[in-house]
Amino acid sequence: MAILGDERKSARVALWSSRAAARLRARGDQIVVLLVLIAIWQTLSMTLGAYWVGSPWGVLTRFTAGILDGELLRNASYTAAEAALGFLLGALPAAALPFALRRLPIATAILDPFMVGGYGAPKLALAPLFILWFGIGIESKIALVAVTVFFIVYFSALAGVRALDARLVRMAQVVGASERDVARHIVFPGAVPYIFTGLRIAMPYSIGGAVIAELISANRGLGYLVQLGAMNFDTTGIFVALVATTLIVFLGNWSVNAAERRLLRWRPPADLTVETGT
Amino acid sequence: MPGQPLLEVRDLSKRFAMRGGREPSPWIIQDLSFSVADGEFLTIIGPSGAGKTTLLNVIAQIDTASGGEVRYQSEVAPLGDAKALNPGLSCRIGYVTQEDNLLPWRTTIENVLFPLNVQRRLNPETRARAEMLIRTVGLAGFEHHYPHELSGGMRKRASLIRTLAYDPPIILMDEPFGALDAQTRLHLQEDLLRLWNLGRKTIVFVTHDIAEAIALGDRTLVLSRTPSRIAGEHVITIPRPRDIRGLMSHPEFGATYERIRAQVQ
Amino acid sequence: MTVHDSALDLPQGGPIKWRRHAVTAGRVALAVALVLAWKIGADVAGPLYIADPLKVLQRIVDDTLSGSLVRHTYVTLRLATIGFALGCLFGIALPFLLRRLPRLTNAVEPYIMASVGIPKYALVPLFILWFGIDDAPKLWLVGLLVFYPVFIAVFAGIRNVDRALINMARVVGASEATIAREVIWNSLLPFFFAALKIALPRAVSAAIIGEFLVGNEGLGYLIEHSRQNFDTTGVFEGIVVATALVLVINAVLVAVDRRYSAWRPTDRQMEL
Repeated sequence: MAILGDERKSARVALWSSRAAARLRARGDQIVVLLVLIAIWQTLSMTLGAYWVGSPWGVLTRFTAGILDGELLRNASYTAAEAALGFLLGALPAAALPFALRRLPIATAILDPFMVGGYGAPKLALAPLFILWFGIGIESKIALVAVTVFFIVYFSALAGVRALDARLVRMAQVVGASERDVARHIVFPGAVPYIFTGLRIAMPYSIGGAVIAELISANRGLGYLVQLGAMNFDTTGIFVALVATTLIVFLGNWSVNAAERRLLRWRPPADLTVETGT
Repeated sequence: MPGQPLLEVRDLSKRFAMRGGREPSPWIIQDLSFSVADGEFLTIIGPSGAGKTTLLNVIAQIDTASGGEVRYQSEVAPLGDAKALNPGLSCRIGYVTQEDNLLPWRTTIENVLFPLNVQRRLNPETRARAEMLIRTVGLAGFEHHYPHELSGGMRKRASLIRTLAYDPPIILMDEPFGALDAQTRLHLQEDLLRLWNLGRKTIVFVTHDIAEAIALGDRTLVLSRTPSRIAGEHVITIPRPRDIRGLMSHPEFGATYERIRAQVQ
Repeated sequence: MTVHDSALDLPQGGPIKWRRHAVTAGRVALAVALVLAWKIGADVAGPLYIADPLKVLQRIVDDTLSGSLVRHTYVTLRLATIGFALGCLFGIALPFLLRRLPRLTNAVEPYIMASVGIPKYALVPLFILWFGIDDAPKLWLVGLLVFYPVFIAVFAGIRNVDRALINMARVVGASEATIAREVIWNSLLPFFFAALKIALPRAVSAAIIGEFLVGNEGLGYLIEHSRQNFDTTGVFEGIVVATALVLVINAVLVAVDRRYSAWRPTDRQMEL
């Protein structure tokens, strides 16, 4: 028995170490790929000229300089603020509406084709209209983001309200819960995971919307920096702004995930979602 | 047991409405009558599909009846109209269902206190009682765990004491220990009797397990196959307090078991 | 967990027909109310901010008859179609290629996933710098926006192909190409179609937005150019036509999907 146990143990150790070895090798490959990409970039920059593609070092130094003198952070926070405020302005009513209409299924049914239409319609095409209405400032960007986010979160929240577990509602009724109690303790917490899915999907659209509006017309923000770089044939400046924008997207993703982890601690593990990206 | 029965079921009948206008659906329960005295532990045995859950749902006012009446303390409960249903009869009827129905987003203690919360009866006294119940069933230390972190048996316990915590005068139980392994079931049966002894609540306990019905009940009703009615009534003469583990060797157990088994088809 | 529509428990009492009529009536009423609100808004806010609906309608008719609206729509659709084709091509080909090189795939995957985070619209000025002011930068934009969902869907679909089926095919002597065609392609078809439903409207949307930034034709150009001239009626005209276009495409896709998904076993998980 002891010999078999040892064999099993060493087989397990071998398997674990081969898996760990495979993981290590993959990590190594990934680092190699990163270095290769940077090397290609550097080569292109030397052959075609930094004018066309910028250079890795140039972008790095300009990025650091931008942070140190505050200019990059200022513009980044401007774009982030547009995205965040628009996100809240769109997501809060969108999440609240299915709850408010929960007892009026007719209202939801009447609204449905309009909501589907709003969801399918190209909201970003409204960018020039909002700029016409609100001008070059932050308001037009916030409005665009809010409209885009609204329809996404509405359908997620609606799915959450609909996925009500009737047995939990019955249990609550038997122990004396009122309608408000049921809404507060059962409908809402049950819908939160669905709402978070919607928030996660809507988040990249919020930053994308802010950037698009800035590309069309702005005097501050990362999209503005991209346009500025383009107008001055300053490729390095464009790349710096692009890197900053991508970082903000990652930050946004991280925030939503962190909030979800905190609020949804009660969920049993194993929940996979596949997203398609912006 | 002095006085009139706490709960009276008279000629209760139930069938579900058929959609699409086909022929009427079969009767699940038909002309079912029994009564429950105050402080009595009544067990009901029936084969699977005998409408046990339906019966409890109607008594608990979750579902309508198609005929007959249910009286609680001589007060007739509204049964025909779905809109007039009063689930739990204003918290006078507790109901421990087959699934634990714990709120997944609340911790154990929050779940146990949930009825007291919504009834606005949460105070130091009721909270202490809830905590005592948690300790009694061995859930101490797991107060702040979420349901998905608890085993099936622990969730069952939590669901059980959630109803006991707000102390309704009569409690319905629908095969609460059915999905558990034999050891856990034994523990919970002992816990239940111990808790019942503290307050002598009225309990209506549904099960398909004859031994369980004998072990727990003062009286056992046998339900026939659908359309269900009461096929027989057996008073359990085994004196309390009962030793559940050694119950099978009790002289009266065998005869009682045989009598009941003969009636259960 | 039971999915129970109790939140939408329809009121008891009253036949089903009554309810359906009420809903239709409500929708018509809401549509009329919205158009009225538009008209009132136009009167109150003035022609600079909200164009009068009748004037917008008139402009649409005029521009259709003169052919300019048709031209703009055609340009946008052509852009969207070519970009869509390119994005699909690479989105499908790349995963199949990567499939043969698992080590490379593992090495490259994190970077591909990270690149999803780059807002593609922000790349347009760079594309203009690189590729000029013709269709090229817009094609790149549309192509990229279509590429990602298709790539991810096909990539995930290939990963999830039943190994047993592949092994069976190998055992009976099928070539790699046949395996790719018969087993893998058919298995990932549902994922692919789900991605298409997202990518096609997105292609049109992307073309329009590209036209905001560069070019002198197309619906996006119409909208943005009108804005720059403070021609609010033109802005509304472009938005109405663009929205109608995308909604029609969506409706057609839903109809086609419904017709062809009859043979598929219903699997909610397939919907991305």
